[in-house]
Amino acid sequence: MKLNERSVAYYATCSSPPDKTGFLLKKGDRNPAYHRRWCVLKGNLLFYFEERESREPLGVIVLEGCTVELCDSESAEFAFAVRFECTRARVYKLAADGAVAMESWVKALSRASFDYMRLVVRELEYQLEEARQGATSPWAKGRGKRPLVHGEGVLSLGNLGKENGVSWNKPLGLANGVGEVGVSGMVWEGELDDGDGEIPPPIPPRRKTPGGSLESPVSPGTGCFSKLHDWYGKEVAELRVEWLQSQ
Amino acid sequence: MRFNEKELVFLSRQPSERAAELGMKGPKKGDVMKRRLVKLIVNFLFYFRTDEEEPIGALLLEQCRVEREDDLNFSIVFLDEAERKYVFECDSKEQCLEWIEAIIKASYEFMRKNLVFYRSEIQRLTGKDPLEQYGISDETRFQASSGLPPLPPPPT
Repeated sequence: MKLNERSVAYYATCSSPPDKTGFLLKKGDRNPAYHRRWCVLKGNLLFYFEERESREPLGVIVLEGCTVELCDSESAEFAFAVRFECTRARVYKLAADGAVAMESWVKALSRASFDYMRLVVRELEYQLEEARQGATSPWAKGRGKRPLVHGEGVLSLGNLGKENGVSWNKPLGLANGVGEVGVSGMVWEGELDDGDGEIPPPIPPRRKTPGGSLESPVSPGTGCFSKLHDWYGKEVAELRVEWLQSQ
Repeated sequence: MRFNEKELVFLSRQPSERAAELGMKGPKKGDVMKRRLVKLIVNFLFYFRTDEEEPIGALLLEQCRVEREDDLNFSIVFLDEAERKYVFECDSKEQCLEWIEAIIKASYEFMRKNLVFYRSEIQRLTGKDPLEQYGISDETRFQASSGLPPLPPPPT
């Protein structure tokens, strides 16, 4: 498959500020040894260069549809893996030079997806609208119009970064029963309808629909959040059981 | 430059923001307009032969400019090679405008700019940083630019 490689490489080195840079050990594509690479994370792309001064990247990893996990490695300390969901996909093994760096990279990479950014943008769009209308809290009484309730969001923003080893950035794919979920600490913790409004309600997991749209499929079509919560909550609880059983 | 092709092909099969059969002409001299299935997924534009499952190619939609060429045609130009245009032909004026808007909004950097704007507006109106409650205020990706002038382009 072709890719506009020159322009992709340009994005890597152009003046737009990167999200994270640093040296990582990367396990070779063909040979099993770890090589030190200068890594640049921009948006949903992880570029790796032979040297910090190299003008062009050796390669790029598109970070969509992946999970980032800590892993045990006999050849490297502070190792983590970027694992993709497609069949026979590669697992990219990387290692940082210390625990702090490792945690920082794992966090950054698991929040690198386009959908995560889109989710945060939409949340802020909503909050801005509320702020402009002079509502006192994001979870004000006008809940009928909340765009995220209809299933487009995927992550509970409040849950991110809490769990170290198992962070994730892919849609849950509830409809097809994909059980690989690192949703520990569960999405629905406390504060829902009590209206204290400190934390907006968690966002229902997103489903992948077979057709060509990002719209949510079946949802109870109700404006009542607690009903919607219960409906999604059942599936999430099942998924959690599945995940726990697979541990 | 290496890239994770298998995973990108897998991405091309995911639900798209927008998909349609359009005319597409490549940037090389002598390229002609051909009918392609074009799919917009996250910040990639995939293009397929109309009867094939695997995409011919993908365009990363960062650092590019989308322009209206005429009523039915729009073009994508990448900033590092501004003379090379990919031209797309739509079936209607509306479709053309919709695609232009969709592609502009498809860039990660575009979303980031919006986020930075919304964040500072919310802060201005409410006095609170909206990202604080999620514990993500310090994430690099959500910061406004450092305020430094842009770096000069790398030597060619």
